[in-house]
Amino acid sequence: MQKRVLGMMTALFVLLCIVAVGCAQKAPAPGGKEQGGKKSPLGVDVIKIGGQGALSGSHADYGRQMQMGATLAAEEINAAGGIMGAKIELKFMDEELKPPVAQKNARYLVKDWGANFLVGIDSSGSALALGPVLKELNTIQFFTHAGTEKLTEDLVYKQGIKQIFRMTVPVYQDAILPALVFKDMPELKRFAALNADYEYGHTSWKMFKETLSKYRPDVEFVAEANAPFGTTDFSAHISKLLAANPDVIFATPWAGEAVTMLRQAQAQGVFDKIKIWWQAMGGSVDVMEALSTDIQKDAFKGKLWGTARYLHNWPDTPENRAFVQAFLKRWARYPNYSAEASYSSVYALKAAIEKAGSIETDKVIKALEGMKIMTPAGERYIRPEDHQAVYTVPMGRAVWSSDYPIAIIGDLKVVPAENYYRKPPFN
Amino acid sequence: MLKGGVSLDFSTILYQGLVGLNLAMYLWLIAAGLTIAFGVLGVLNFAHGSLYMLGAYFAFSLYGAWKLNFWLAIFLAAALVGVVGLIMERFFFKYIYKLDEAYQLILTFGFVLVFSDVVKIAWGGVFTIPPLPDIFKGTVGILGRPFPVYNLFIISAGIIVAIVIWVLLERGWWGKMVRATASDREMASAMGINIATIFTSVFVFAAALAGLGGALSTPVRVVDPGVGTAVIIQAFVITVIGGLGNLKGAFVGALIVGLVSAYGILLFPGVELFLIYVIMALVLLIKPKGLLGG
Repeated sequence: MQKRVLGMMTALFVLLCIVAVGCAQKAPAPGGKEQGGKKSPLGVDVIKIGGQGALSGSHADYGRQMQMGATLAAEEINAAGGIMGAKIELKFMDEELKPPVAQKNARYLVKDWGANFLVGIDSSGSALALGPVLKELNTIQFFTHAGTEKLTEDLVYKQGIKQIFRMTVPVYQDAILPALVFKDMPELKRFAALNADYEYGHTSWKMFKETLSKYRPDVEFVAEANAPFGTTDFSAHISKLLAANPDVIFATPWAGEAVTMLRQAQAQGVFDKIKIWWQAMGGSVDVMEALSTDIQKDAFKGKLWGTARYLHNWPDTPENRAFVQAFLKRWARYPNYSAEASYSSVYALKAAIEKAGSIETDKVIKALEGMKIMTPAGERYIRPEDHQAVYTVPMGRAVWSSDYPIAIIGDLKVVPAENYYRKPPFN
Repeated sequence: MLKGGVSLDFSTILYQGLVGLNLAMYLWLIAAGLTIAFGVLGVLNFAHGSLYMLGAYFAFSLYGAWKLNFWLAIFLAAALVGVVGLIMERFFFKYIYKLDEAYQLILTFGFVLVFSDVVKIAWGGVFTIPPLPDIFKGTVGILGRPFPVYNLFIISAGIIVAIVIWVLLERGWWGKMVRATASDREMASAMGINIATIFTSVFVFAAALAGLGGALSTPVRVVDPGVGTAVIIQAFVITVIGGLGNLKGAFVGALIVGLVSAYGILLFPGVELFLIYVIMALVLLIKPKGLLGG
């Protein structure tokens, strides 16, 4: 009896393993796969782009959006004949927001799968850990979300890791932009922070404080609470901040955690007491989708402000309209910033390879440096000094508009990129 | 004044205690089922957190997507998770009671993976949250500060569940049989108690409790496929502090972890998570069977 049960258990376990592995492997590897007979002038039939982002847990939508954006670009390019005749092939992996996993994935993608280029990365912690690995692998990575300024300011500009390019605006967006807007609102005096408890949250709050106090010596930073990844209840953090009577709460937890936090803040009556809740990445599509009914019912009393690294409703250009339409048609979702940046990365890569006439890392780096390229988010200028794409993204308030099925960031405040991006030599 | 600039008056401290109590009640609902299943069945159910997650997803669909009445949705979600528990016990767990604990862990861990993939297929990998029911919008003034109605509801629900469990286990015929089975299976069996049925009913009850916890969390916490593994760790810590298999211990453990989290955030920012594990380590050193165990 004992033996039979044991045998059954072992069989079951093996079965479960197969199911788990099967599911993991099924996790898509989209993109064109057919092999052309004739070689492209680049010397390869296929250009392999390895991607990674958060594909599991509360932050999973960002990685999926990256995958959707990159896949759409690859499909469009492949349908139009590829890059100088070479087709794009994509493979996406889960970085799990863990730096060691991101390093392991990058090594696997380049060494085992044979990726020519890399794209993605959600977590700032993962991004910083990846820098030295990219140098060692001598492979270009387009970062399409991770926000820490240290990635471009320190790793590229100061340490010279030229394989790093960032297509999304860094924490200048989360921290300097709101400081420049809030400085002109004299009624805002007391600021408190609910930080995402890792590199991104801490560097944002520090940069915000530094920028704001330069213009407004009268403001006070009254309280601070930190919430690590995986926090499911923010009520203790929120009640701590409220005890200090802030005018503004500066919050950086993102994705599902932002939604949980804002719902709990709402339940706790926060929006009767404060003047502004700054939700740095509140304009993210997943957050707007989840909070649509709340915003429609004005549960935040018009006090929820936010931005993103791209807003699908801005700029009003033919490029952006075409992209949003194509994305909606392909995926039945609005594109988030990680999708737009990944889409634009693939196109920037195409332009660079065509300019260089090669897929060699050094030549493509040269071609990317100083490139100006029209993208859905507007014209991006890739600064040669720090490999940071410079483009403008507005901030505003979360509003309901009958033009869209989900809430959007409206009431937009547009500050030109050159006014809020830090510039080399970053002193 | 504290680091971070919060002035520390009496009402701030009391208020934070209430917030901690609210945290504790969610944890209690999860830990209660975990510890009951261990105490009676001897199974350490890793998938208990996944049952919490299923409860949340069921409640989301019933209330958020199909617009069912909130109370009915909560009840049905807990009941459905009970049914899932029934299937788990009848077709899987039943066969491993006699085996080494390692096999139980493997099986329950297998369920964690299966459930996580099942919800991805059924609900997608994206987090979801239904709207907050209108009856819970708003706050009540406590200690001169607004306290969420929903949190008061959670605190009461946790206490009511504690009383219900106590009455069921200590007062009723079912409780007598369960306790008899827990203390001596063979003797209970000899007295004519159908052990298999008792085991099934206990497991279903434990699963439904986890489902209830998950269902109650949906309006104020997003649910995603990773939430099961997030809560199970805390539930384990609680049962270890209180004593594995000890119900009162789980309640005390939940209170300790909830309050320490809330006060940790207020008084010792940066080490609040660390504090909980320090407490667990101390308990293990001084009373290896938990505060109320053995």
